[in-house]
Amino acid sequence: MNNDHVIHVENLRKDFKSHSSRPGLKGAFRDLFNRNYSIISAVKDLSFDVKQGEMVGYIGENGAGKSTSIKMLTGILTPTNGEVMVNGMNPHKEREKFVRSIGVVFGQRSQLWWDIAVQESFKLLKKVYNVSDEDYDRHMNHVIESLDIGPLLDKPVRKLSLGQRMRCELAAALLHNPPLLFLDEPTIGLDVLVKLKIRNFLKEMNEKYKTTILLTTHDLTDIEALCDRVIMLDEGQIIYDGALKKLRSNWGEGKQIEFQFAEQQTKETLSPLLDELDSEWSEGKRKNVWVANVVNDENVISEVIGRVVAAHRITDIKIHEVSTEEIIRNIYEEGVIHGQIH
Amino acid sequence: MKHAAIFFHYISQYMKTRLTYRVDMLMEIMSDLLFQAVNLIFILVVFGHTQLLSGWSRDEIIFIYGFFLVPFAIFGAFFNIWDFNERYIVKGEMDRILTRPVHSLFQIILERMELESLFGMITGLAVMIYAGSRLDLSISWYDPFVFLIMVIGGAFVYAGIFVLLASISFWSDSRTSIIPMMYNIGNYGRYPVDIYNKVIRFILTWILPFAFVGVYPSAYFLGREDWYGYAFLTPVVGFAFFALSVFVWNIGVTKYRGAGN
Repeated sequence: MNNDHVIHVENLRKDFKSHSSRPGLKGAFRDLFNRNYSIISAVKDLSFDVKQGEMVGYIGENGAGKSTSIKMLTGILTPTNGEVMVNGMNPHKEREKFVRSIGVVFGQRSQLWWDIAVQESFKLLKKVYNVSDEDYDRHMNHVIESLDIGPLLDKPVRKLSLGQRMRCELAAALLHNPPLLFLDEPTIGLDVLVKLKIRNFLKEMNEKYKTTILLTTHDLTDIEALCDRVIMLDEGQIIYDGALKKLRSNWGEGKQIEFQFAEQQTKETLSPLLDELDSEWSEGKRKNVWVANVVNDENVISEVIGRVVAAHRITDIKIHEVSTEEIIRNIYEEGVIHGQIH
Repeated sequence: MKHAAIFFHYISQYMKTRLTYRVDMLMEIMSDLLFQAVNLIFILVVFGHTQLLSGWSRDEIIFIYGFFLVPFAIFGAFFNIWDFNERYIVKGEMDRILTRPVHSLFQIILERMELESLFGMITGLAVMIYAGSRLDLSISWYDPFVFLIMVIGGAFVYAGIFVLLASISFWSDSRTSIIPMMYNIGNYGRYPVDIYNKVIRFILTWILPFAFVGVYPSAYFLGREDWYGYAFLTPVVGFAFFALSVFVWNIGVTKYRGAGN
């Protein structure tokens, strides 16, 4: 194993045993004595490495195995099979020692005590993590300032808004200045300004301390703003692991040219226009709107526009780039990327 | 050392939280004390009708009941884990517990403590003093220390049994009514076990050793020498059961499935 790998995962697997109930009263009686168990693999043979200072976006649909794998990486769940090494330790075996070296934020779950003031929560965590006064002052004063939570410190958590609470959660997770940070949906439900603040803060932490960050989110703009690398999961397996840029250039190479025609058109009347251009028509959302999906090449784009304009009268024209969200939706629809994994 | 520091920090935090709701706290203390007073009167009235129960006098039975209340109060203050399944497994709060560098059970004890339960000790002591003075018990200098050890042993018996029950949730998160039932069974330990049939006595001694919370340790203070063997086993059984329960808990944690999102 390479030493500069903060996270090393090899053939990681997690199976859950679940019982399926038989239908009807008779079935319920039979279940009582003889249950039908089925094994469901939430995570299947996952392997990847993360280097220090990387910011990795961890994405996948609900049930793709994101949460399960993150819980194995943080020592909450015990893997069924495979190897996990995080910060040089086996998370679930040396849990108490290991969790000192990580920070965790679960967007839907609070780390802070509901009834007491934020700073009292910080004090308790400081005790729990055994952080010295000097370390605390040096590090936390800066964190508190960058997240702009100074005025919130003496308020009880239950009186904070979601955005305020989330910033405090983040500060709490960084209290012991961990070299590795797991963020599970940290921006869920937050407004744009708070999101920006949190992103800037994470970038700053990453630059200042070389903090490694693993981020799961449904909001791809978070990933675009922060992560160079994405790991995509589907049905418990990695379907893409690599640079976000590459994902875009491999998949987002196409452009969409949207034409608004003056008269009604059909696929038959338009199809001949794209002959030999490796492009395709799709019907637009509005009346008389057709979209030509073309490769990102100036000759092709000019050719398509030229042919269409020469043949039909148009009232409007727009050129769109394919968004990351669309790329990812396409990947999920197709399953695996053109055999170009990794 | 570190655990003690965290423990006291939690207690001070707990006090602070209670103090922020001054009126509430005052009302709560008042109602707790009132509840304990009613409890005390109730005990005296109920046992007023019993005279002799297979060789135990009324005052002896009252004394055992009083003793029982002390470890039970400590258990109630620190082992509020009857809703562990609901609160930590089903709602997934265990995830948060497991991301902190302190033993999971210790954290749950700290989070769930209810120090008000300790008022029950006052009632217990009052009952013991009342019954003890009527029985003319002699107290030697080391008896307070023995008392302390017996009380801790008894509290650990209770804690061990309930931690074991809570650990079941790691394997199966379906709801069971086992915990309320266990509170009922625990009450049998308040009475002299030789009034029960042999099987029940065996169960209360070795399987669900609730007898070590009430009657066995009390037998020492009541000077019942034929029961001394059991009496001195109290701390041993307490620590053994608690150790077993922590062992099972630790295995359970590795089986934790997490709450589904």
